[in-house]
Amino acid sequence: MSGPALRTVDLSKRYGRITALDRLDLEVAVGEVLGLLGPNGAGKSTTVRLLLGLARPTSGRAWIFDRAAGDVEAAHRLLAYVPADVALWPGMTGAECLELLARIGPGTDRAYRDELVARFELDVDRPARTYSTGNRQKVALVAAFATRAPLLLLDEPTSGLDPLMEQVFRAVVREARENGQSVLLSSHQLNEVEALCDRVAVLRSGRLVEVARMANLRRLHRSEVEASFAGVVPALEAVPGVDGLEALGEGRVRFLLSGPPGAAMAALAATDVTTLRITEPSLEDVFLTYYGTGGS
Amino acid sequence: MTDLAAATTVSAPSASPRHTTRAGRGAARAVVHLAVRQTWRGALVVVLLAGAMTAVVATGYRATVGDDLDAQALAALAGSPAIRTLFGEPVALDSAGGFTVWRTGTALAVVLAAWSFLGVVSVTRGEEDAGRWDLLLAGRVSLPAIVSRHLAVFVAADVLAGAAAAGALVAAGTAATGAVLHGLGLALVGAVFAGTGAVTAQLLSSRGAAAGASAAVLGLALLARVVGDGVEALAWARWATPFGLVALTRPYSEDDPLPLVVLGVLAVVPIGLAPVLAARRDVRGAWFSTPTHRRPRRWLLGSLWTFALRRATRPFLGWATGIAAWFLLIGLLAASMPAFLRDNPRFAALADAAGFGGLVRVEGYVASLFALLAIPLGAFVAVRMAALAHDEVAGRLWLLLTGPVRRLTLLFAEVVATLLGAVGLAVTAATASTLGAAIVGAPLTWPAALSGTLNVLPVAVLCLGAAVAALGWVPRAVAALGALPAVGGFLLHVTAESSGAPAWVATISPFAHLAAVPDQPPDRAGVAILTCIGVILGLAGLVGYTRRDLC
Ligand SMILES: Nc1ncnc2c1ncn2[C@@H]1O[C@H](COP(=O)(O)OP(=O)(O)OP(=O)(O)O)[C@@H](O)[C@H]1O
Ligand SMILES: [Mg+2]
Repeated sequence: MSGPALRTVDLSKRYGRITALDRLDLEVAVGEVLGLLGPNGAGKSTTVRLLLGLARPTSGRAWIFDRAAGDVEAAHRLLAYVPADVALWPGMTGAECLELLARIGPGTDRAYRDELVARFELDVDRPARTYSTGNRQKVALVAAFATRAPLLLLDEPTSGLDPLMEQVFRAVVREARENGQSVLLSSHQLNEVEALCDRVAVLRSGRLVEVARMANLRRLHRSEVEASFAGVVPALEAVPGVDGLEALGEGRVRFLLSGPPGAAMAALAATDVTTLRITEPSLEDVFLTYYGTGGS
Repeated sequence: MTDLAAATTVSAPSASPRHTTRAGRGAARAVVHLAVRQTWRGALVVVLLAGAMTAVVATGYRATVGDDLDAQALAALAGSPAIRTLFGEPVALDSAGGFTVWRTGTALAVVLAAWSFLGVVSVTRGEEDAGRWDLLLAGRVSLPAIVSRHLAVFVAADVLAGAAAAGALVAAGTAATGAVLHGLGLALVGAVFAGTGAVTAQLLSSRGAAAGASAAVLGLALLARVVGDGVEALAWARWATPFGLVALTRPYSEDDPLPLVVLGVLAVVPIGLAPVLAARRDVRGAWFSTPTHRRPRRWLLGSLWTFALRRATRPFLGWATGIAAWFLLIGLLAASMPAFLRDNPRFAALADAAGFGGLVRVEGYVASLFALLAIPLGAFVAVRMAALAHDEVAGRLWLLLTGPVRRLTLLFAEVVATLLGAVGLAVTAATASTLGAAIVGAPLTWPAALSGTLNVLPVAVLCLGAAVAALGWVPRAVAALGALPAVGGFLLHVTAESSGAPAWVATISPFAHLAAVPDQPPDRAGVAILTCIGVILGLAGLVGYTRRDLC
């Protein structure tokens, strides 16, 4: 198994006039957790379903550890999947579903599966008909992690979990990464993405608009600076990186700062600054710039 | 109370009650629209079918049997228990109307009944289970109201189908009274089973179970008619089954409306009961709920192949029970029927004209009935493939396809399990009829019976091919297209045989290519052609299935 855990080149999917995915180039390295973000209908689930071979790409290609994604007999030995909407046969119990997935899937660590059942507090002797949304999701999560597959494709896996179970999920994903497994995690929960992911990819209307390391992501974005001065307010308009300058009166200004802050700092240092406050953008703000119309 | 209401109205003339009522009526109408949108295609098919089949047989009557009949033959025919048992009591065969009712009545009634309960179960229990009613019920319409509005749409379609048949009979120049009674009878049979479907959908928590229970009611109703017709002492049983009641009306001879009154009561009971039952249960719940805990049953979970068998097991047992009951009865009748026909050669001719030749020998008699086995086999095959399409729409296939298995394997596993089921049903029918014949001492061996029931398998293969083709290209129509060769083929066969249509019309039906095994040797060319067409359709479906997106 050489090369990245997952690679797509020019991967596109059209449904009639709708372009669900537009020439996606993406890589997930071995041992990496990649967050897949984007507004509703951005193409996240479509991406995952193309990788699974459930949907056929209109153009482009995808590989799972250098095996063509369409060659499911080879590719699916190396992955496990948790769908966004977990549907089960209503008459089958959780235990039966897990057994089916274990026998048909790429192989299962049964001891670990039993441990996961306990950690997720899943009652496996109930027919799926009686399960809540979260319970069904737990069945899929237990089955997926118990495979210890090298690649995990998780499509909004925690949308139905309570906060306690969310903690269990995070712990299990971290264990998977420590074991060298790779994860593609599509999610709308930004703090989950922040806590778990090494990198994030942002899709909008089927296009990849950003891929960045989690740590760099904030840096790509503008901080808000508020300063007050004892004496004259310096002229900051021409300073590189400064934008949206506002005079607040009484010797106070507010501006947005992007890029290396050196020039702005030097300009401020030359004056008599009494207070200075720099607000890092929240992750929410960062993502909202991508989600909203002004992001591209 | 009244005063208070009046006072409210006076003090607030423009207040909300009137507005609420109007909006409530609008919401109720929206539910009816929803039901119509889900129903109209099927309704159109059954209405056209009822009208067209009746019209063709009634107008073609003179060309076929009309001139051959004599009164004496007719009287004896009506007295024959076996003839009455299998084709219903023949009355007024000397008139175009009477002949048409006898020839098409039962087939149309069964088609209407089956369409009604299957449709009602799928648009009520099916939609509710899929969670689509949660949204509907968040609105201002109650669960009983939603159930009864869906039911009303099906009853309306049944009435239209009955009207189409009656209209066709009147247009063909037959007496209006008989035509109306026949049309009303058909409509009421449909209504009874629409109501039955609605009741089972309240009682049972899964669509399959509800449809199965309704099918059992249909099977029992047919059996009761057969027994009531055939056994003098049990003649009263006809008053307890919709199929017996429509026969007792005797359109074009006695024109007795009383049985239809009873039938009307039989229809009103389940139609009235369904909303009452619906009001006393949870949404997505049922009267008979499944246990909340049970030990795992791990059998047949090992691979796609065994899992396909596991899913087919319960439906197979249901179908096998029904088929066994029917063919046991056919075996039991094996002695009386050929003897009767041998003594009355005129009826043999008549039976010939109606498409049941060679009835004078036991083998000929069972052969003509084994041919009918193609209908349940075709329906079984279509329903099983439709279950796979339904599993896909319900989003369950990820359980199977996330593993290192190709979708072709999934499809093959399903096809093999379904074919095994069809063979199992053929063996069941052969065994049950041999058993029945043995009880009455009729000479029917098991190998002979088996050769007869296996002989219809090519029709099942054709249905399977059509179902797979639909799964590959038009997955929404798997059940309809899968059942078409058997059900549509049979109706075409009956219509063509009894209307003097050009010969080539009859040859479109697969039933024209089945030899009367075990009475005659199998039609090898026919078998080969049917199987080939089935396989070609299957391959075409396979191409579509591997290419398309799965949802
Ligand atoms: N079978 C289909 N037929 C037509 N259009 C589809 C189909 N499946 C998805 N689409 C469209 O493709 C686009 C991407 O959908 P997708 O499900 O991938 O979005 P998503 O990013 O997963 O959204 P969400 O966050 O809501 O889950 C949407 O515009 C959707 O309407
Ligand atoms: Mg999605």
